[in-house]
Amino acid sequence: MAQSQTQGGATLFSGYPALPGTYDELFDGAGARPPFARVVQLLAAMRPEDLGRAQALAEHALLQQGVTFSVYGDARGTEKIFPFCLLPRLIAAADWARLERGVTQRLRALGAFLDDLYGEQRALAAGVIPPEIALGSAGYRPNLRGVRPPGGVRIHVSGIDLIRDPEGTWRVLEDNLRTPSGVSYVVENRLISKRMFPRLFDAARVHRVDHYPTRLAETLRSVAPHHDSPNAVVLTPGPHNSAYFEHTFLARQMGLELVQAPDLFVDGDRVFCKTTRGPRRVDVIYRRTDETFLDPEAFRPDSVLGVKGLMRAYAAGNVALANAPGNGVADDKGVYPFVPAMIEFYLGEKPALEQVPTYSCARDDDRAYVLEHLGELVVKAVDEAGGYGMLMGPQSTAEQRDEFRRRIAAEPRKYIAQHRIELSSCPTWIGERSAVEPRRVDLRPYILTSREGPWVLPGGLTRVALVRGSYVVNSSQGGGSKDTWVMKEGA
Amino acid sequence: MISRVADHCFWFGRYVERAESTARILAQAASFALDAELPPGQVWKPLVVVSGEEATFGDGDCDGELVQRFMVWDDRNGAALAQSIGAARGNARSVREVLSSEAWEAINELHLWAASDTAQKAFDHEREQFYRQVRRGTQLALGLLRSTMLHDEALDFIWLGVLLERVSQTARMLDVHHHAFTHLAQRHEVLETALWLSLLRALSGSEAYLKRAGGRLGSESVARFLVSEAAFPRSIAYCVHSAYDRLCDIRPPDRHELPGGAALERLRVLDAWVDARRGEPLSDAAVHDLLTHVVDEVHAICETLGKELLGGA
Repeated sequence: MAQSQTQGGATLFSGYPALPGTYDELFDGAGARPPFARVVQLLAAMRPEDLGRAQALAEHALLQQGVTFSVYGDARGTEKIFPFCLLPRLIAAADWARLERGVTQRLRALGAFLDDLYGEQRALAAGVIPPEIALGSAGYRPNLRGVRPPGGVRIHVSGIDLIRDPEGTWRVLEDNLRTPSGVSYVVENRLISKRMFPRLFDAARVHRVDHYPTRLAETLRSVAPHHDSPNAVVLTPGPHNSAYFEHTFLARQMGLELVQAPDLFVDGDRVFCKTTRGPRRVDVIYRRTDETFLDPEAFRPDSVLGVKGLMRAYAAGNVALANAPGNGVADDKGVYPFVPAMIEFYLGEKPALEQVPTYSCARDDDRAYVLEHLGELVVKAVDEAGGYGMLMGPQSTAEQRDEFRRRIAAEPRKYIAQHRIELSSCPTWIGERSAVEPRRVDLRPYILTSREGPWVLPGGLTRVALVRGSYVVNSSQGGGSKDTWVMKEGA
Repeated sequence: MISRVADHCFWFGRYVERAESTARILAQAASFALDAELPPGQVWKPLVVVSGEEATFGDGDCDGELVQRFMVWDDRNGAALAQSIGAARGNARSVREVLSSEAWEAINELHLWAASDTAQKAFDHEREQFYRQVRRGTQLALGLLRSTMLHDEALDFIWLGVLLERVSQTARMLDVHHHAFTHLAQRHEVLETALWLSLLRALSGSEAYLKRAGGRLGSESVARFLVSEAAFPRSIAYCVHSAYDRLCDIRPPDRHELPGGAALERLRVLDAWVDARRGEPLSDAAVHDLLTHVVDEVHAICETLGKELLGGA
């Protein structure tokens, strides 16, 4: 039904209004980009009303399956589906090969940085990164220095946020090395795509993504402190957490128990789970709770949340935590400008992926440049997220610029600045106008690191800013997602 | 299995069963009210009493519409159908990773439907269809649990919840109706037959009863069937014995080192006690005493289970 042929009427992409000064993922000036010509041709054969119907069916299916996130601050516990656009985002095989090499390299360097920082701190001595930036980061945990994580892995699960500039160059916007979420939508979106576009999908030759949970389970088992049938669990803050669906999804797909902190206790530096048959030893915890709520003894004496003594058990090497606590220092915005230098320092390689050029106000000449060009730059406080503590230079008033000038002068370490990048766009179904329009997207690939090293899931979460003209892809601010089709070689 | 998870499984089972039972009882009462030449209060009030929410309902007017609205939608009524469906779904969502996707989707769809305008319209205009839809949704969930989940501890806890809820429902229904019928101002054979059949239908048991009783219908034989018929899946004997079997799988009797011993022993004693009633005469007074004992014991067993196996909830 969703793939019936055009009979006269408008085709899906006729009159597609490409955004000026923006790289479009599917079309260049001459039409569909060559690697995608066949898929775009099949998509274009669909009538808008067919796509609209398929889109409504897909949304209904997601709701019935309970693929939802909890809306914070809603007393009735409202759940919503994560808005989803059926039109896939395509990535060519050659592009993917480059991305894969780049994020793998980045993960190896970031892992080496964390080992070094919680060990000898060679990079600080060598001047690769200013000590005050690394040690002054809110994510640095001095009490973990000297603690080696079981299995030697710290960044078991990561998500690297990438954007594409007007030339089509991929750039790393941000690293997520603590508890990145969204991978369940990658798998669920794919199920919906396959259901709605069976023939199209079959013709497209796309890498599969459904083995992610199996690989995650292998990764978790690989870091167990001992190897005779280790017991791994998934730790969730509970049903009220906005990512609860994902926690249940992963536990189910891996066949692991989903636990909450009160289900666990520590005795003699070993972790146990309270079961109907008495205590059961726990060897690996895939924790989806913030690290400051892991153990009241170690992080927040005022907190009643968490598992008392968990960090002692971890330090004693009796339980593996994925991800390791203390990773926040490596995805700190203030540390980000130094990642290319880390790659050269630890690996002796040139960075394979570009970043967004970033000025670190801690550096004298950068700071001077930032203060002179406040009107053109985006200034971000390193310890804030979600659009807070930001100055959008091009739209700012003189008062706001003066305010930031004062703040930067007072605490230069706290601020970085970047030029705004015109994020690439992708054809997106706009239900209220029954039309396909360009919307801006980013990409979050997921990387699993086991004892054997990093592995990249060939796919990822494409987030899309559904509001016309918006650059904000966050689900809390009108963002949605798309299935991401990584094309096979020669497809 | 984790005690908190076991707790959610147990209550998930209880609420699904309660929702199914409430829909069935209300549908049957609506049908019965059309035949019986009885004052509305006499048909409907017992249902409020069975639910244990008499105090919330109050002493005011009592007709079919008031009771049905109270028993389906009222937020103040913990036993209302909408509340049971919501609680079943809430417990299911808390252990989403334990349930099969098929069973989860069945209960999630029922929940979404019950909260929709479609359900409200069905209730307002097609009452019979409304109850039917609820029963199909809950029965589908119960069937899918058994046909799509691992038959291990999680399902044992769900089913233990279903069975213990069912014991209470059967015992309360029988007690309330038995009391009402045996105190009718004038006993009239035709009316009495209709009353007993209605009770049996409300417990999905009229066909099963007639097969066993060979067409004879009387207060003692109905009571005996609902208490002691070993092959009827809603009789007290069947439910208590099956619940004991489930608990034996959860906590084997010879594993003295495991928690759950007191609940298991208490359930074993109740099972033996119900079994011993099989041959005894069932006078009107004996029925009431027997049912009171069963309801009290089931309550105590659930409390002990909570302390020993379900994390003290």
